[in-house]
Amino acid sequence: MVQLLFFLAIGATLLVFLVVLARRGKAEGAAEALVDAHQALFTLQTELLPHGFVTRLFDRDDLEFVVSEHSGEIAEFFQAERKRIALIWVTRVQQQVELLRQLHLGSARFYARLEFKTEASLAWNFMILSLSCKALRLAFQTSGAFAAPRVVGTVAATASRVCEISAQSLAFLSRTGLDASGPSTGGRPALGA
Amino acid sequence: MTFKRRQGTVWEASEDLRRRTLSHISRPLDRLIYLASTRDYNTGIYYHDGLAAAYSQDVACQALADCHREAFREVLDTSLRDLVSQIEAYMRSIDLTTETFISAWKKLEPYRVAVPVESDPLATEFFFANLRTALAILENRQMSRTPEEPAA
Repeated sequence: MVQLLFFLAIGATLLVFLVVLARRGKAEGAAEALVDAHQALFTLQTELLPHGFVTRLFDRDDLEFVVSEHSGEIAEFFQAERKRIALIWVTRVQQQVELLRQLHLGSARFYARLEFKTEASLAWNFMILSLSCKALRLAFQTSGAFAAPRVVGTVAATASRVCEISAQSLAFLSRTGLDASGPSTGGRPALGA
Repeated sequence: MTFKRRQGTVWEASEDLRRRTLSHISRPLDRLIYLASTRDYNTGIYYHDGLAAAYSQDVACQALADCHREAFREVLDTSLRDLVSQIEAYMRSIDLTTETFISAWKKLEPYRVAVPVESDPLATEFFFANLRTALAILENRQMSRTPEEPAA
């Protein structure tokens, strides 16, 4: 009988230990997702989506100016450079948006009480972004950086809407002081933010 | 010094720098090159004797860094056409022939050290790409000039 109680006690202790470990792992994962999402939001708002930067990157005036120089070689070089940068831009936007999507799919619901309407809107915006980014990448690859200005506008505007909602979900991090320790680049104002 | 008070002082120092020095440098590209030149390549610390004497070395460094980031953003916001004009004007101001200047900038790429620390990699790539295109345009213009026409 004593032996049975002894093994039962060990079993119960091990079970408690496992539960504690499992809960701790989940909390650490959630914290990591929050920090990643916070960083993604910062990158999108200050580096990738500012209106001035997006406008400059896809400005056709630059292309027209280069063409007016009457050098096929330079025009080709310029288009290749812009295409390369446009592809980096859309890839990075997609990556950062994916981090925000992960946040909303996972831990956000524990911290932010979003209305059903807002959640539905988020889901719709994530879907539009996913499709638009894929279309944009294809357009850039086949026809260069100036191929789809409307889709660029859609991606920038939709990503900005997602950023606004995500900023509300992550607002509690600002209150806890994470913003103060975040990178400070004196970034430009975000699109629609 | 509290964080808020320090930020206030950095703001004052930045305004001082803009008013007394940077307002006399009209082109963003020139301001960028000037501000980058106040930074020690080895340490990344900015130095400006006058500003450090009026405030402190730490505050002067922060103010210079802020103005450097600002100048970088201004150059990024510049159209390719304006960038070509600004490079041409800068070239004239340092009294070098177009050939010598373009050759040195293409080979040595000195503009790489003009980028502020912690700049976004995409913005940096965009800046380099625009400069490379602008240099190619200037080189092409130089080569297509007739021998009778004197170089700028």
